[in-house]
Amino acid sequence: MAEIQNFTMNFGPQHPAAHGVLRLILEMDGEVIQHADPHVGLLHRGTEKLAESKPYNQSIGYMDRLDYTSMMCNEHSYVLAIEKLLGVAPPIRAQYIRVMFDEITRLLNHLMWLGAHGLDIGAMTMFLYCFREREDLMDCYEAVSGTRMHATYYRPGGVYRDLPDSMPQYQASKWRKQKDVDRLNEVREGSLLDFIDAFTEKFPGCVDQYETLLTDNRIWKQRTVNIAVVSPERALNLGFTGPMLRGSGIEWDLRKKQPYEVYDRMDFDIPVGTNGDCYDRYLVRVEEMRQSNRIIKQCIDWLRDNPGPVMLDDHKIAPPKRVEMKDDMESLIHHFKLFTEGFSIPAGEAYAAIEHPKGEFGVYMISDGANKPYRVKIRAAGFAHLASMSEMVVGHMLADVVAVIGTQDIVFGEVDR
Amino acid sequence: MTINIETMAARIAARFAEKLKRVESTCGELTYEVARDDLVEVATTLRDDEEFRFEQLMDVCGVDYLTYGVGEWTTYSATDSGFSRGVEREPVILDEADTFDPRRFAVVYHLLSLANNVRVRLRVFPGDENPPFLPSVVDIWNSANWFEREAFDLFGILFEGHPDLRRILTDYGFIGHPFRKDFPLIGNVEVTYDADKGRVVYQPVSIEPRTAVPRVIRDDNRYAEALKDGSSDG
Amino acid sequence: MQQLRNYIKTFAMWELWQGLAVTFRNFFRPAVTILYPEEKTPQSVRFRGLHALRRYPNGEERCIACKLCEAVCPALAITIESDVSDDGTRRTTRYDIDLFKCIYCGFCEEACPVDAIVETRLHEYHMEAAGENIMTKDKLLSIGDKFDAMISADKAADAEYR
Repeated sequence: MAEIQNFTMNFGPQHPAAHGVLRLILEMDGEVIQHADPHVGLLHRGTEKLAESKPYNQSIGYMDRLDYTSMMCNEHSYVLAIEKLLGVAPPIRAQYIRVMFDEITRLLNHLMWLGAHGLDIGAMTMFLYCFREREDLMDCYEAVSGTRMHATYYRPGGVYRDLPDSMPQYQASKWRKQKDVDRLNEVREGSLLDFIDAFTEKFPGCVDQYETLLTDNRIWKQRTVNIAVVSPERALNLGFTGPMLRGSGIEWDLRKKQPYEVYDRMDFDIPVGTNGDCYDRYLVRVEEMRQSNRIIKQCIDWLRDNPGPVMLDDHKIAPPKRVEMKDDMESLIHHFKLFTEGFSIPAGEAYAAIEHPKGEFGVYMISDGANKPYRVKIRAAGFAHLASMSEMVVGHMLADVVAVIGTQDIVFGEVDR
Repeated sequence: MTINIETMAARIAARFAEKLKRVESTCGELTYEVARDDLVEVATTLRDDEEFRFEQLMDVCGVDYLTYGVGEWTTYSATDSGFSRGVEREPVILDEADTFDPRRFAVVYHLLSLANNVRVRLRVFPGDENPPFLPSVVDIWNSANWFEREAFDLFGILFEGHPDLRRILTDYGFIGHPFRKDFPLIGNVEVTYDADKGRVVYQPVSIEPRTAVPRVIRDDNRYAEALKDGSSDG
Repeated sequence: MQQLRNYIKTFAMWELWQGLAVTFRNFFRPAVTILYPEEKTPQSVRFRGLHALRRYPNGEERCIACKLCEAVCPALAITIESDVSDDGTRRTTRYDIDLFKCIYCGFCEEACPVDAIVETRLHEYHMEAAGENIMTKDKLLSIGDKFDAMISADKAADAEYR
């Protein structure tokens, strides 16, 4: 009789369902997983070490590239740490813009997650629908910062530029009727805020579509219900944050519990799961999208009525306006000083955490009084989540590994840093 | 329930007295220094005791204080040779030494109490042995597992009692601990494809290090308490 | 009653039909895709694409080799060498941008005190041979000359925000 033994299987790092460059060494008993050993670091770029070699502002662009599906949230945490050490707060309008774009980022991230998670476990249509909506949100990114992903938009002391008063429009072409072009441009007639407003009007309907396709779907439920159940106690002990923690039934959201910027003025609810399985985490994230939509709406209303500065007027931290720089000697000196040496931060240390779409994203920064950080430590939510991979997949089938990777919302930019 | 950090500070002071030494913070955070031998006991109490309940270990962060407070560019006269002149190129190699400065390496733990809504930071100095080592807290908070592996990989700090202390972020077969301050930013080896051998080979780096902006430490008097409210623009 | 209804729905595959209805309705909606490259999606005037060096209307180079962009470049993609030119002004003799290093953060444009280096809306470019990733001063100036109208219009449109 043939001897039955466990065998070891390599998953990734070039597997499309590995969400990047995850390599998993799976120890299998038949099709049941006995142990999983994730190998990470294939995307390690040494962001933290690089940040030590650059003046503070120059690393903002590298923060975008950590979790590359929620760019501005990463920047937010980084600039918050700097602001905490400097002891400054951005103007109120900048805070509203940051909150609005944090929530737009949350939608971007959750749409990417929903699309990819769906695709991984058999719902192709979701991917296409989610990208349809992501396109509009990326246009918002582009309108405000000039890039569709890596924005470099948040700065210590505010945001770089105010929201534009006009949106770029579709051009007439021989491939499309004028009526068609007008229809596409309908939402682009006004300012960026009008564009986002139109989006928030239509988005709940889109979420309804996603839910019709997935929430009650028997295949979706078979793939997610009772898969990778995590108890609240384990979730805490494993360092889970964000939707992973809320999916296990713990009501913890930094936006409510330790509000930063103007989240304390926002009216929104925190969805919480009950079973702690993949399906609950899915429901939590979908509901979060609806809540984000609510927050964006509140920000739009406020931003419409309250023009004002979006950057601190302290030229030791924020460069002067270009018009001033060209007319005024002192402004020109500030400009040169800031763009060569940057600003120095008083010695000290700070930990700034925000409710990132994936969980708690924290930046721990040590300054020794120089113009470059002495040490930057990025606390990425995905790192703690992925560490629990083995515990979550043991006893499940091979195909469920993909569901678990999806439910953890892993992005290797932030795990490997 | 949310409690003030001073309330928590008072509770910690009452319970641990000398074991936890509070460090002044400029931005209203609780930071404590703990001796290496007390770490496990303190951590267990902080997690389990009703008045603390730090259920979550958010982060474990290695720090190398080797060049703390050292600027690259101290000069008192103008020159025209550019910024790079002031940048020290020779790395200080101490890895072969038997002992380190006891305050060179540190490991920083960030704890979060959901029940009390308070964060606390613990800093532990592993002492002067080479390699530096600390007791592991994996058994107290399981989330420490990968964070400790990371600190080991990047700083070479050992964690006693860790179930699986392997490298995590660097390449298979990597030599050195890249986040130490004496490890050059450009690294030591580079990878190329060797057509003759038909495989990837390692060779010493060929690129030149380049510094566009030197590290400068300024005593910015805007932050001096006496001047803070007086003048608007220092 | 509810239980009976659920029972029937399960066997009738109700939720699957609902999902199919969503996808079926999309057959009759106008397509969201466009015919690239004949048609293009709208591009913001703030778009950060390929770099260009600009001239003043009289043909004089704007760049004065102050090296602010070199200092502020996070990726160390810019290399500048300067000298005194024949007319006694300070000019660059070398201005290289390595497009493989560049992260398109826009800091060079922000830093430039004379609006010489800009990031344009061009994003459809490619390289075929090794070494073409280095944008030399001549290449950058020729892009600036060729697309001067577009660049000037874009920068004017966004000037009030900067």
